[in-house]
Amino acid sequence: MEFTLLQLTENLKIAFRADELSLIFAAITTVMWILTGIYSFGYMEHDEHKKRYAFFYILVYFVLMGLDFSANLITMYLFYELMTLTSVPLILHEMKEESVSAAMKYLYYSIAGAFMSLFGIFVLSQYAPTIDFVAGGSIVAAELSHGGLVLAGVFLMLIGFGAKAGMFPLHAWLPIAHPVAPAPASAVLSGIIAKSGVLAIIRVVFYVVGPEVLRGSWVQTAWMVLTLLTVVMGSVRAYEEKVLKKRLAYSTVSQISYILFGLSTLHPLGFVGAMLHVIFHAVAKNLLFLGAGSIIHQTGKIRVTELREIGRQMPVTLGCFGFAALSLVGIPPFSGFFSKWYLANGALASEIGGFSWAGPVVLLLSALLTAGYLFPVVVQGFLPGKEYDIKAPEKCEAGLNMTIPMVVLAVLTLLLGILSSGIIEFLTQLANSLV
Amino acid sequence: MTYEILNICGQGFYFKLDGFRLIYCCIALFMWSVSLLFSKEYFAHYSHKARYYGFLILTMFATLGVFLSADFMTMFIFFEIMSLSSYVWVAQEETEAALKAGVTYLAIAVIGGMVMLMGLFLMQSAVGTLRMDELYTAVQSVWDEKSAQIYAAGFLMLFGFGAKAGMFPLHFWLPKAHPVAPAPASALLSGILTKCGVFGILVLTAEVFVHNFIWGSVILALGVLGMVAGAVLAVFSVNLKRTLACSSVSQIGFILIGVGMQCFLGGENALAVRGTFLHMVNHSLIKLLLFNCAGVVYMNLHALELNDVRGFGRKKPFLMGCFLMGALGIGGMPLWNGYVSKTLLHESIVEYIAVLAETGGNVWLFKSIEWIFLISGGLTVAYMLKLFICLFIEEHPTKQAEYDAMTSYMSPLSRIVIGCAAVVLPLMGFFPGGTMDKMADAVMGFMRSGSMEHSVYYFTWTNLKGGLISICIGILVYVFVVRKVFVRNGKYVDLWPKWLDIEAAFTRIIFAFLKVLGAGSRVVDGFLTQWCTVEGMLKALEAVSRGADGLSERAVAYLKGTVYRETTEKSVNSFVQSLHEHYDKKVDNMRLVGSSLSFGLLLACIGLILTIVYLLMH
Repeated sequence: MEFTLLQLTENLKIAFRADELSLIFAAITTVMWILTGIYSFGYMEHDEHKKRYAFFYILVYFVLMGLDFSANLITMYLFYELMTLTSVPLILHEMKEESVSAAMKYLYYSIAGAFMSLFGIFVLSQYAPTIDFVAGGSIVAAELSHGGLVLAGVFLMLIGFGAKAGMFPLHAWLPIAHPVAPAPASAVLSGIIAKSGVLAIIRVVFYVVGPEVLRGSWVQTAWMVLTLLTVVMGSVRAYEEKVLKKRLAYSTVSQISYILFGLSTLHPLGFVGAMLHVIFHAVAKNLLFLGAGSIIHQTGKIRVTELREIGRQMPVTLGCFGFAALSLVGIPPFSGFFSKWYLANGALASEIGGFSWAGPVVLLLSALLTAGYLFPVVVQGFLPGKEYDIKAPEKCEAGLNMTIPMVVLAVLTLLLGILSSGIIEFLTQLANSLV
Repeated sequence: MTYEILNICGQGFYFKLDGFRLIYCCIALFMWSVSLLFSKEYFAHYSHKARYYGFLILTMFATLGVFLSADFMTMFIFFEIMSLSSYVWVAQEETEAALKAGVTYLAIAVIGGMVMLMGLFLMQSAVGTLRMDELYTAVQSVWDEKSAQIYAAGFLMLFGFGAKAGMFPLHFWLPKAHPVAPAPASALLSGILTKCGVFGILVLTAEVFVHNFIWGSVILALGVLGMVAGAVLAVFSVNLKRTLACSSVSQIGFILIGVGMQCFLGGENALAVRGTFLHMVNHSLIKLLLFNCAGVVYMNLHALELNDVRGFGRKKPFLMGCFLMGALGIGGMPLWNGYVSKTLLHESIVEYIAVLAETGGNVWLFKSIEWIFLISGGLTVAYMLKLFICLFIEEHPTKQAEYDAMTSYMSPLSRIVIGCAAVVLPLMGFFPGGTMDKMADAVMGFMRSGSMEHSVYYFTWTNLKGGLISICIGILVYVFVVRKVFVRNGKYVDLWPKWLDIEAAFTRIIFAFLKVLGAGSRVVDGFLTQWCTVEGMLKALEAVSRGADGLSERAVAYLKGTVYRETTEKSVNSFVQSLHEHYDKKVDNMRLVGSSLSFGLLLACIGLILTIVYLLMH
């Protein structure tokens, strides 16, 4: 089903189409937007500019829907740029000096990335049969002319769209911009908006160029190296970071590169793993940011070292935080484990020399670091030590409109894992049609 | 009997109930009942009880899941739940030592889990299945081409299982976690959670590395090292529960020797299989009893150091009786259960020596293993004697009257449950034919082992000899080493060298590795991105445009300077000012040099990129 909004020229049109991929992304976006929206009522209650925040929050949602359902590269590019511009006010919201400079940084990186991608779009519109999204890609590898240029274009698109997804080398904005936004905004920035980069890359690689063109090329190798580098770098930086929200942002850098690594294997199992991680990471990271937001909102504590005993003050919040941490580390039966399982198996099944082994090793190394930077928060929060038993702290749990979305998300981290079979089946069908 | 739950947790759950699993589930349930019932009194005055009981029950279900699983994937899921939920037991008391031990425990659990997961990945990709009943044929069919990968997978999984089992050199969490955990929980940690790890190793031995020489040697070597290290540590220890924890390390070593011997003996490994399994069962039951007895001591005194608790057991015949049952059991005294399993393990080594002698092989290695085995058995006797004499014979120098006055040191309920746990041991030891042999018969199929050619007569002279040698060694060690070296001025002293700490070495390596990674990541994260991408380019562009922008103005200014020379008033006197101007000019020059250099570099980069693009297009 396709719907053309506007015919720009003979070949260029703004058109929408609903396929499996758009449905998954739209579904996850909608669920997160609603839950985070409810949370925002509590979090932004005393904010001066909550109307402005709400306006842009909803606007970004519409833009994302456009992005999810776009039917060709041009439409996607349009909404991609719109998304950048409409989400800037979310980062700017608090209007402090650091948020302004962070927003500018976000803008620079996103636009630089988008322009790099635009170059790729030019190349593809010239050498690909069509820039409409066709499952499995429209380029026939054997008939491809100017292969080198196309590969270079694709590589630039990977880097460019990778900027949104926080992939090295254009990731530096992410750990600066995500933490300065209000917590619900950072939640959707990390959980959903960063995934738009992933969506764009999937569209380019699996719907326009086709995995066959990239398989075995230098682009695949370079892509894998960049993702693995980002995975390690992000988790090590998160491990060293002391400000909770920044730590979570670095964690996003590393986790989204898991997804990109899964895609870069160009193997159905890896693709399933990547898509699972899109969903599971969105849930877990949203929840983590909401948890951090609740803590800031109720106690004003932002550094990890201040969070000892927080579990006694805000048991529900930290409990939910713990669920998300377990999922992100990949402890079964929490959902994150299953995506990791498919990612690693995809890497091993793709049989690309050393990367088949290096991939899982890096994933597990990063999982260890993830445990290292998330578990202490939970453990010290709930088990602060005997000296804290003397005086029971006052409970300062956030209001219901903040806790209920978190509890729902926490249940989802577990439930999606236990009931992952259906999702996996759906994704396997999708993956087999693409790769 | 198998049971499958489809469409859950990705690949579904796959369970099986056979002799081994049934027996171990029963043991698990028995141990949990004893610990739960004893916890009632033990935790009477504690806070955070709900947390403790909640995680106790959660771990129970997870442990049952591990023992029932017939698929490594299912097993891993329950294993991780078990591993992480039991963390709360270790840290339950929230003292500083408990929290530290908790960190060690959690780290080992997470690292072990991840390494095991890597093994599972490799196994899945090499063999294509993780179902235990399909593994044997699947491994056989791909063994020739993929043996390297299967070995890698197997040893990674061994790391994970071994970490939980307390296998050397991953045993260091046991002596750290047990003394600080509540006693009923340490009984379970040591008695049954370690067996989950051993269970995994057994499955690997029975289904993947069947009669495999390399696998057998590695496990045997680690088993011998663990057996000796644990026993020596236990003799050195001056803390009641720490001694028991080190003893667990040692006993797991005994079990692993049995596993190793299974591989060596090949088709005729019935003795080793039976010995391994029975020693697992015995160790579970004995440690349940001993740790709970230690719990009784701690509950009354809130102390575990031998110097503090000595003499507590005097005039407490019930406690003494129970402890004695455990001590005799683990010491391998004939007519107690530990004797039977140790005899079987010993016999399996003797049998292999006979096999080697028949085929003309070199027997000295296994002869020495046999002697190490007997000596370790002796050390077991020695440290149990140390504990027993300290608790029940010696008198406390100052508080003996106070201890003697504690007559209501246990509630009736606790007496009943601990009594039950104690009675089982001699019951099994007195009637091995009716109890232990029956159990062992039930597990032969699980271990792919044939039946025994003839039943073992445990109380013949040849069999008794091994046990008696150990006991003699034990008594000698106690009299001449423990009393002479470890007791000074009537006090037990801790002589273990502080630098001999495996955990510290591990931690150092890990942190060094993290530091390197951290430095690397900072470079990647900061330097490259800040200066070589967007911001760097922007700055360079800015510099260039500033140059271009000001070009005309500068030209005008220059012309103006040449045509119309303004006579500037120079303050001749001020030396400082002229120096300052000079300095400013220098700085300006340097800035100019810097910016032109970067501009040059930028152009060079653009040139390089163009070259690359050109090369790519052709």
